[in-house]
Amino acid sequence: MKPMFVAVPFIILGLIVTGECRADTEHAGVVKTVEGAAMIVRSGSPTAATVNAKVNMGDHVQTGSDGKIGMIFQDDTVVSMGPNSKIVIEDYLFEPAEKKLSFVTRMFKGTVSFLSGQITKLAPEGARVETPSATIGMRGTHVLVQVD
Amino acid sequence: MPNMNSKSHVHREGVTIWKALGLMPVLVFLIVVLGCGKRTMVVLLPDPDGTTGQVIVSNPVGSVTMNSPNQATSTASARTAPKSPVVMEEEAIQSIFSGALEIQPKPPLHFLLYFREETTLTSASSGLIPEILQAIQERDSTDISVVGHTDTTGNKEYNMDLSRRRAAAVQSLLLENGVQPDHVKTTSHGEENPLVKTGDNVSEPKNRRVEVVVR
Repeated sequence: MKPMFVAVPFIILGLIVTGECRADTEHAGVVKTVEGAAMIVRSGSPTAATVNAKVNMGDHVQTGSDGKIGMIFQDDTVVSMGPNSKIVIEDYLFEPAEKKLSFVTRMFKGTVSFLSGQITKLAPEGARVETPSATIGMRGTHVLVQVD
Repeated sequence: MPNMNSKSHVHREGVTIWKALGLMPVLVFLIVVLGCGKRTMVVLLPDPDGTTGQVIVSNPVGSVTMNSPNQATSTASARTAPKSPVVMEEEAIQSIFSGALEIQPKPPLHFLLYFREETTLTSASSGLIPEILQAIQERDSTDISVVGHTDTTGNKEYNMDLSRRRAAAVQSLLLENGVQPDHVKTTSHGEENPLVKTGDNVSEPKNRRVEVVVR
């Protein structure tokens, strides 16, 4: 019994040190550029978007009438938004070793630029944008979308 | 009698007006919910390397595929098919999308470091470390990923571990040179994400690599 009690903390420490413990909420992307009014809304709480702020799956990203924002995601997808725009990162999975590849963005309004990354290279059907009137399937491209 | 008529006439008009007003919120709600008034326009641009990919725009009513630069398609609503693509003028594209395009960040910088065997970098690849450090400095990057890979020789479990050790070796080099630990994320892809597709158990030096991405 005693050796077990001693071993457990070392096992946990070992896992932490080797980084095998994966956090459940790994960020999907990072804000790289921002101008004017731009917000990230997470679980209903808005915060002003700043350079290097993390973007998680489930986050809404929104710009005001003078706002613009640019983000880079883990798979290299580059998403940038002009003024009066709003999107939500509905699904983001980038784990190629486990063949888990998915990037679904829902766009509500405004102008957004999407430059595909590795998800579409590894899974052509893996990235799409949903708008109120259409589904946009990106097959390794640079695509501009306007919803009004 | 005339008074009564005019009264009921006004009363009827009044009810109609109130009825119409009452329906407005319902209509607005329906429009918002059904997205009837939300037009979508999609424009396909060439990639930074000059090639053009493909985009498919679809809804329950129709579908359009575009694969030429500056092609654009509009979809008026969820109940209208996407229109046949037309080529859009540069100026028209800029006038609508200048905000989103101006704020577009530079795509991430990728570096490929190769290994002789196990976790020993080739000398050419060791020479890339200063370049990587400079890229991190210049971009003030706080999001750097180090991804380890192997070729298909050996079994999957061994390669998962080898790719992890390769990524760890490169991570150590970066941290030794002052990069903050919480700015670097290491991942191992084992033999699952080859640069050069090969069969199983094929020695391919180009797949024995670590990819460093500086965002």
